[in-house]
Amino acid sequence: MTTLDPYRERVEYAPIRFLHRLNPLAKIGATLPAMGFLLFTRDIVTPLAFLALALVLLIIGAHLPWRLWLALGLGMPVLVSFMTLSFAIWVDPDKVDRAVTLLTIGDYRLYLGSVLVGLATAARLMAILTLGLLAGTTSTGPDLVRAMVQQLRVPYRIGYTALAAYRFVPRFGHELQVIRSAHRVRGMAGGRGPIAGVRRYLGYVVPLLAGAIRHAERVALAMDARAFGAHASRTERHLVPFRSRDWVFMALFLAASAAIVLFIERSLP
Amino acid sequence: MTTKPLLEVRGVRIRHDDREAWTPDDVSFTVTPGEVVLLLGPSGSGKSTLALALNGLVPHAVPATREGTVTVAGKSTVTATVGQLSAHVAMVFQDPDSQIVTGTLMDEVCFGPENLRLPVDDVLARAERALRQVGLWERRGENPDRLSGGGRQRLAIACALALGSPLIVLDEPTANLDPAGIDEVYAVLRSLVEEGDHTIVLVEHNLDAAIDLVDRAVVIDHSGRLAFDGPVRSVLLDNVDALLAMGVWLPVSTLAALRLREAGVPIAELPLTPSELAAALDEVPSLVELPVVERSRDLDELDLVSRSTTTGAGSTTGEGSATAISVKNLTVSRGKATLLRHVSLDIAAGEFTAIVGVNGAGKTTLLQAIAGVVAPPRGAVSVGGLDPATADVRALAASIGFVFQNPEHQFVRTTVADELAHGLEIARVDRVEIGSRVDAMLERFGLGAERDVHPFLLSGGQKRRLSVGTALIAGAPVLALDEPTFGQDRERAAALLDLLAQLNDEGTTVLVVTHDMQLVADYASSVAILRDGELLSFGDTATTLAGNALEQAGLRPPPLAQAMRAVTRHPSWRSISRLADLP
Repeated sequence: MTTLDPYRERVEYAPIRFLHRLNPLAKIGATLPAMGFLLFTRDIVTPLAFLALALVLLIIGAHLPWRLWLALGLGMPVLVSFMTLSFAIWVDPDKVDRAVTLLTIGDYRLYLGSVLVGLATAARLMAILTLGLLAGTTSTGPDLVRAMVQQLRVPYRIGYTALAAYRFVPRFGHELQVIRSAHRVRGMAGGRGPIAGVRRYLGYVVPLLAGAIRHAERVALAMDARAFGAHASRTERHLVPFRSRDWVFMALFLAASAAIVLFIERSLP
Repeated sequence: MTTKPLLEVRGVRIRHDDREAWTPDDVSFTVTPGEVVLLLGPSGSGKSTLALALNGLVPHAVPATREGTVTVAGKSTVTATVGQLSAHVAMVFQDPDSQIVTGTLMDEVCFGPENLRLPVDDVLARAERALRQVGLWERRGENPDRLSGGGRQRLAIACALALGSPLIVLDEPTANLDPAGIDEVYAVLRSLVEEGDHTIVLVEHNLDAAIDLVDRAVVIDHSGRLAFDGPVRSVLLDNVDALLAMGVWLPVSTLAALRLREAGVPIAELPLTPSELAAALDEVPSLVELPVVERSRDLDELDLVSRSTTTGAGSTTGEGSATAISVKNLTVSRGKATLLRHVSLDIAAGEFTAIVGVNGAGKTTLLQAIAGVVAPPRGAVSVGGLDPATADVRALAASIGFVFQNPEHQFVRTTVADELAHGLEIARVDRVEIGSRVDAMLERFGLGAERDVHPFLLSGGQKRRLSVGTALIAGAPVLALDEPTFGQDRERAAALLDLLAQLNDEGTTVLVVTHDMQLVADYASSVAILRDGELLSFGDTATTLAGNALEQAGLRPPPLAQAMRAVTRHPSWRSISRLADLP
């Protein structure tokens, strides 16, 4: 989970790792149109092309921990195969090309058309995910908040409060654990199945919320006492400027996206 | 006397929107630059509320009605905003976790100055100075989560310093810390006082830690009115009876001296600190040889602290009594870490056993393994002949009750009566029987009027009593409590301990994890000291505390033991660690 830690330190990587030096908003702005477009594609080539583009950029421009590469290298093929098969089974056979039958089990027939639809869906999801990784793995949470405050004029009170709230997550995780063991000791573990499970979790809600509200109130007092929200703006030690290279990256990425889309439109029948 | 006051409190009364009483009620005092003021009062007197009023959080952020004026550096806290005031008054709160909002120590310390819109260079200079003052500069790049409790509270002090405010208000800064953390925080405060640049208002129950640091004491009584204001020594020592009657806790050394005076030991001047007590005793030419069997029992006030006399002496003499808990070669690992290593101990029925150790020594792990909260390895633990590793919840509840640190965590029903009945319903006890046992329990713990109230709506002390009641109702002869006094003021802690002592007198074996060494000395009949997951020492309290196992485990002896060890003239007195053992 280290890759998703919003407090992860900013580290200076080699000059080639250019993604880390871009404004988070540039990365999001560049990839968002492509992600949106992918939602409406049906073919297999377009997502694969975007997937390839994102992977190339990640390989060159991002310094990723080896665990993440391992997850991408091993996990992605497994996930794609799994999703392809599942989608192929779910898809309505009446709506696919039934020219080639791959498998017959009793009455059930698995068509090549179904598998291709499944593959397209899986590739689409993977492409969107990988495009998201471009911004997600190369920006820090504070930088994203700073950029939103500095460029998008999001009020800093909202941005930094959201960041402070992220600290609650591990705390609540721990508290939930304690509550669960406390309830188990009280004999609330009884019963199996989904209904007993839901009831069990409902029992955790009240103590968890009571603790959360108290904690949030205390945090709010502590932030007030340190002048948070006292002025219309606050000093930024780290400026996250939107520079020419951010414009260049956005322009190039959008151009590449358009080129992929147009080229595939034209070459496909 | 011509110095202009930095803080001026005039006729302040505050009423929270959901309460009837005004606490504080008509309190006035002034603080001049460089003073270190201790704000004292029983719980419910409104000390913390008053502290919140000093930087305008009351009434700006907390819904409350306020009368009177608070002026800081000439600014009224009503017209100025909390943000404007933060440049003049900084706050440090009780819970270190709820004061941290960013991901690194550096960002955390910069947070305040940034909010004040200082130029970047100033922000960095202040942050560096503040972090160096509390000794955390080298760790500036780390996540605050990696600091100990004491470290996080030091960070909170650095954040207060970085605001550049001349006045720092600390509201129970050590209530959530272990002894090592308390020492860390007081070392930092001491260096601040020595520098003399800061004015400090300290709300603190732990007088033994704070006493040699403060110049002046302001005492608020039960009804929220100003009772005393003056130099700390004369306020505490000239009004001993009034303070004790009010429920204000005096330093243990003072209490000990009072008890000795009562017993006829000629102590000319009452001491405040352990070293003063030791010096006073050395002045006395001759003292009775200890141990002394007979104790005077007519000192009602002192009994607040020494209530455990019967417990302590009584249960250790119960030789031949059955073994309540038996732990054999218990090793507990989680992931790669070994939390407990080859722990073996036998606790006799009727004991009041304290488990102590620094953070991470394995105290809670041991308690949870014994109570089956986290299943121990098979065959390692036996509670009244039952193995928690294999026992089901019902059998376990009938042999050991577990009380979590936060009572709210273990409430599972919607009324107090149902909460108590729950354990019996699970054990399929007969309806009528449940009714009578619940009634008896409600009566026993003074919750009769609250039987249909939702457990979450009880007061803090009631919640704690209910959690003890639920743990005991299935008839468990053993009660295990995980840091039951953590984060509570002394009055509530004492009420709980008296309850435990009473239960213990009636035959319940009590097992408690705690950080409070004077509590251990005064209440426990035996102590288990853990270090790095190993059992360093286990034995009856007096002998264990007289040895040096506490120091070996990184703990400090209770204040009274510190005083007595410094006594040179009367060797037989040097092993005393509890008030109850004094003549």
